[in-house]
Amino acid sequence: MIQQIIALVVIIFFLIIIFKQKKQGKINAGEFIFWYIFCIGAGVVIIFLKLIDKLVTKIGFSGNGIEVLLYVSVVILFYIIFRLRLQVEKLDRDITKITRIISLNNKE
Amino acid sequence: MKIFCIIPAYNEEKNIAKVIGEVKHFVDEVVVVDDCSADKTFEQAMTQNVSVLRHVINRGQGAALQTGNEYALNHGADIIVHFDADGQFLAKEIKDVVQPIIDDEADVVLGSRFMGIDSNMPWSKKYIIMPIARLVNKIFLKSTLTDPQNGFRVLSRAAAQKITIMNDGSAHCSEILHKIYRYKLRVKEVPITVVYNEFGQTLLGGKGRGKGGIRILKDLFISFLID
Repeated sequence: MIQQIIALVVIIFFLIIIFKQKKQGKINAGEFIFWYIFCIGAGVVIIFLKLIDKLVTKIGFSGNGIEVLLYVSVVILFYIIFRLRLQVEKLDRDITKITRIISLNNKE
Repeated sequence: MKIFCIIPAYNEEKNIAKVIGEVKHFVDEVVVVDDCSADKTFEQAMTQNVSVLRHVINRGQGAALQTGNEYALNHGADIIVHFDADGQFLAKEIKDVVQPIIDDEADVVLGSRFMGIDSNMPWSKKYIIMPIARLVNKIFLKSTLTDPQNGFRVLSRAAAQKITIMNDGSAHCSEILHKIYRYKLRVKEVPITVVYNEFGQTLLGGKGRGKGGIRILKDLFISFLID
């Protein structure tokens, strides 16, 4: 119970930060909505943790709900890192294009 | 036929002037692409009265070669020779490597260190790195070429127009092979000599950006996903 309360306090803290960032114009509407839904979703999961435990058991996982959520988070994180890596590679190629144009133009 | 020689150079102040001096007797124009060297490579190349391009950021050998290709194509090149700046290749062999293109026998000619001419290749490269590179190229490209990672190559104008090098690092060698097969270009291997001054590339690293066997495999995988 105490763990759930701590987790909810952390989520509320993140929600305040998100609202502040939006107010200061540091994040756009799309990012705001994504993180807002993410935090609310995390809050709902924590409140209904017992229900999720039952659901996870029904699906056939041996671990409890929080463990399965952890597995899912790891998979999502891997995916995000992978997407970021591809984006970095594309940026890298753009930097090469700009470098090439500069060197060719300087020579002309 | 107008022959351009592209020499990508990164921190080669000791060798670049000598290499240019040797190469320019065998081609119509030499183009050095200084890949943002930290030493005096650019200044040394400029003393040789050849075209010298400079990358303002270090981008890797593949990127430098593509810059050179674009410059050569814009200036009317019929044949483009890729040549290393470290003095490992012999300039006098350019005429042998260029000949199949002049005779219209091939669109791309690749130099090979494994076709009879003896090179003082380090044993680990000869017996570990090169067999792995050949195996990778055989599996993924169905290529039976003997020296897939050789930097001494010649492209006809048409081939250079088709092959745009996207891999900035050393993965460009495998990329060029891949594109040779994809565009159904005629390829020929010609024996060349390589004089090893130092062990330039290992499984884990090497001189310049995007070097090392592991990095090459990683770059190829990522570019496969992007393209």
